[in-house]
Amino acid sequence: MDAQDFHNVTLKINGREYRVEVESNWTLNDVLRNRLELTGTKRACDYGGCGSCTVLMDGVDVYSCSILAVEAQGKEILTIEGLGISDNLHPLQKSFALSYAAQCGWCTPGMIMSAKALLDHNPKPTEAEVRAALSGVLCRCTGYTSIVKAVLDAAGAMRGGT
Amino acid sequence: MSAEFLTVGKSVAPIFGIEKATGEMRFPADVNLPNMLWMKILKSPHAHAKIAAIDVSDALKMPGVAAVLTHKDVPKILFGPYQNEIYPLDEEMRFVGDTVAAVAAEDWNLAEQATRAIHVTYETLPTVLDAEAGAAPGAPDAVLHYPERHEIKPGDIRPDQLGTFGNIVGLKEGGPTVVNQRGDVARGFAESDVVVDRVFRQSEVNAVSHEPRACVAVYEDNRCTLWCSVQDPYRLQDSAARVLGLPMDAVRVVSTNLGGAFGVKVTGRFAILCALLARQTGRPVKVWFTREEESLDSHNRSALTHYVKAGAKKDGSLTALQVRTFQDNGYWPFGGLGQNIAFAISTRPVDLYHRCPNVKWEVFAVRTNYPSTGPYRGRADAESHFPIESVMDELAHRIHMDPIEFRLKNRLREGDDLCSAPGKVVSTVWVEEAARAGARAIGWDRRSVVPAATPGPRKRGIGMAMVIHSCGSNPAGTSEAEVVVDLDGRILLFSGTPDQGSEQQTTLRQMVAEIFGVALEDVHGSNADTSTCPYDSGPFSSRTVYATGIAASRAAEEAKKKVLEQAVSLLNRQVRDLDVGKHAVWIRSEPSRHLHLSDIVGSAGGSISGKGIHNGKDGHLFAYGFAATFAEVEVDVEMGEVKILRLVSSHDVGRAINPMIVEGQILGGAAQGLGYALTEGFCFDPRTGTALNQWFLDLRTPSILDIPDIEPVIVELGEPTHPFGAKGCSEISYVGVAPAVANAVYNAAGIRLTELPMTPDRVLKALQETQRSAR
Repeated sequence: MDAQDFHNVTLKINGREYRVEVESNWTLNDVLRNRLELTGTKRACDYGGCGSCTVLMDGVDVYSCSILAVEAQGKEILTIEGLGISDNLHPLQKSFALSYAAQCGWCTPGMIMSAKALLDHNPKPTEAEVRAALSGVLCRCTGYTSIVKAVLDAAGAMRGGT
Repeated sequence: MSAEFLTVGKSVAPIFGIEKATGEMRFPADVNLPNMLWMKILKSPHAHAKIAAIDVSDALKMPGVAAVLTHKDVPKILFGPYQNEIYPLDEEMRFVGDTVAAVAAEDWNLAEQATRAIHVTYETLPTVLDAEAGAAPGAPDAVLHYPERHEIKPGDIRPDQLGTFGNIVGLKEGGPTVVNQRGDVARGFAESDVVVDRVFRQSEVNAVSHEPRACVAVYEDNRCTLWCSVQDPYRLQDSAARVLGLPMDAVRVVSTNLGGAFGVKVTGRFAILCALLARQTGRPVKVWFTREEESLDSHNRSALTHYVKAGAKKDGSLTALQVRTFQDNGYWPFGGLGQNIAFAISTRPVDLYHRCPNVKWEVFAVRTNYPSTGPYRGRADAESHFPIESVMDELAHRIHMDPIEFRLKNRLREGDDLCSAPGKVVSTVWVEEAARAGARAIGWDRRSVVPAATPGPRKRGIGMAMVIHSCGSNPAGTSEAEVVVDLDGRILLFSGTPDQGSEQQTTLRQMVAEIFGVALEDVHGSNADTSTCPYDSGPFSSRTVYATGIAASRAAEEAKKKVLEQAVSLLNRQVRDLDVGKHAVWIRSEPSRHLHLSDIVGSAGGSISGKGIHNGKDGHLFAYGFAATFAEVEVDVEMGEVKILRLVSSHDVGRAINPMIVEGQILGGAAQGLGYALTEGFCFDPRTGTALNQWFLDLRTPSILDIPDIEPVIVELGEPTHPFGAKGCSEISYVGVAPAVANAVYNAAGIRLTELPMTPDRVLKALQETQRSAR
């Protein structure tokens, strides 16, 4: 491995700056999971086929497996860890957790981040809009019905100010 | 069911929900340790070959490469998920993607680069790339056996048991793997008023668990710990101990939570090689599959061909059923679970239609040079119900009888003998209730008796299927559980079964909570860690709520009995005068006189625990669950597209311990079943055996835009062999979908689709054939 393949990058993730040495072909997902211990973001394929690795980059939902770590410099990255934690849940997390919309939990972080991107732009989506917005994330366990309902419930709770 | 319960029967929030929604849940792939190496596997490019020479010197010279293992470096000890039948590495490659060598390096990139620096010379061998052709006399051997090379250990299949039977799995000389026969089919067909004769073909399908399997191995002081994505942690513990030459207790396997499993996440080479590399390097080693590796090094639902002939009288009596099935069993040297699956294929539908007097069902499970096949959600029943339920629908139509009434007339009844479990009887059969409840939900009365009745190019129709599936492994399976009341009065459940998304620990803890009269959140504990939990054969065959549920309830009852006995002297009353609840024991007649559990346990001088076991020795190894699936479809006869308008999935679940989880499992299983029906198929080049669509998008699992809101119906009429009357339901919802959709397509468009998946090209082809034969 040639030395030129390494880069020192600064990544801004969940409001915190991380300096990390990466190789040119390491993805944002590699770095989050294997170098920064931010393992809440999952991976189920490696090439934008499933959406389990979805994070927000400057407010847009992107596949972290398809973004090189070097490309993510200077961007605001939000992962599931930055959205909420056990004793301070985001309404989407609460709604997924309580309604069994997270069965195995593998697609859940990606699904929730994708839903967050939707609700940031459209606080009162229709069911069809929820389905369209989440169509980039696949789930194998739930059959989707409970996920659609969880997003609509969370949207309602957020509009209600809870 | 009239009993009132505190927690059982309530849709309480699942215990792991918050960890899953925050990403805090630790899956095996999330384990990263200091100084950890990454493992990568080199895969075979040939469907059948022998490694003539292998040179790893260039790979070992690469900076950052710590170790390379080939077949020359590993113990020649057999292990495996079902029986001990594979070596950690072998010199015979049996499918494209088989494991050639394993590398450990400083990071995932380096490990992959090092696999490319391994130089292998292969001697290619003749291949079997079609199950039916592989079963024919004179076919080449898909697997060459080297039984003389391995040391026979207890539990191994002996070389003399292998026989010389070509590629057909089974221990008998020649003939099919299994034959299920009763009566005389020739006489039955002679008595028939109508006979249906068709060939059905089903594509191989991959379970597509979203978590690619991972393993992290640590080897220190002759002890090995494996955090691993397996449903069978105790089987892996046994396998790793065999290969490493360690006692069982020196191997710890942790598989608490898995990102989906569906029956396929079982003991495999990836975990054993990880352990061997950890021992060799003295450092933690991690492997985490790519999607391609997860697809190839998995077992799939077999590709199948069924030749079916069935007859009935005009009065609706089934007269004869004759089936010959070819089941692609993949590369398993000794057959994997193929024989077991073949037996269930040939018997369960025959039990469901118990009144049929004449049956002959032969199954040929055939070794091929494709990836292994094995149990995946709805094991054996998804394989067999598509042809059977399609034929039942056609027979009913031919004799002008309602398809539901035709099925119910021939169905299994309580107390009937089972050919799927000789010597046993079935305790409850709520299939009629499930069928009628489903019919009401879909509005069966709206269904046109005449097919293709809708004018125009978009034709609507309704169809149904009736299915059986086991809740509990047959012929073997054991669950143990331990319930501990700690010195502080906390109640703990220890169960060896992983949670792969079914939230079984929630359901099991609800049962324990009920027995102790506390809320769900008052029961704690851990699961699927072989160092703290008693044995469980794992969450397969929808067995957890039934089998592990019985074990956990027995453990809780025993712990409760001991607590009450301990309280006798403290409260000066007999056990029968005492009651337990809300972390206390009180005198029934004087509820104000009570003691906290911690005081009672404290007086015992240590924790109080109870153990429970379920292994079927009481005569109830499993129960049968039943379901009826109803589909309403719209077939676009110009484009060939089948659109699902409604799907009702109606289930005999005995009792729903947690209705929200039960409904969630029904919805998820039915959605996967829609994938099997309409889009999914794992395809291989029939000339080379190379997988063609191992990537995520190409496997065509349903997206959020493909699945309608599925309607679950729960029928709760109990199961007397379970303490709370529960049966499993997580797999059976898959089974009926494909035949229900096929029968709805017939009702809509007048065509019989006999191949899965029911893609638009197949719909259009069937329409053309129907038009041609009508001319």
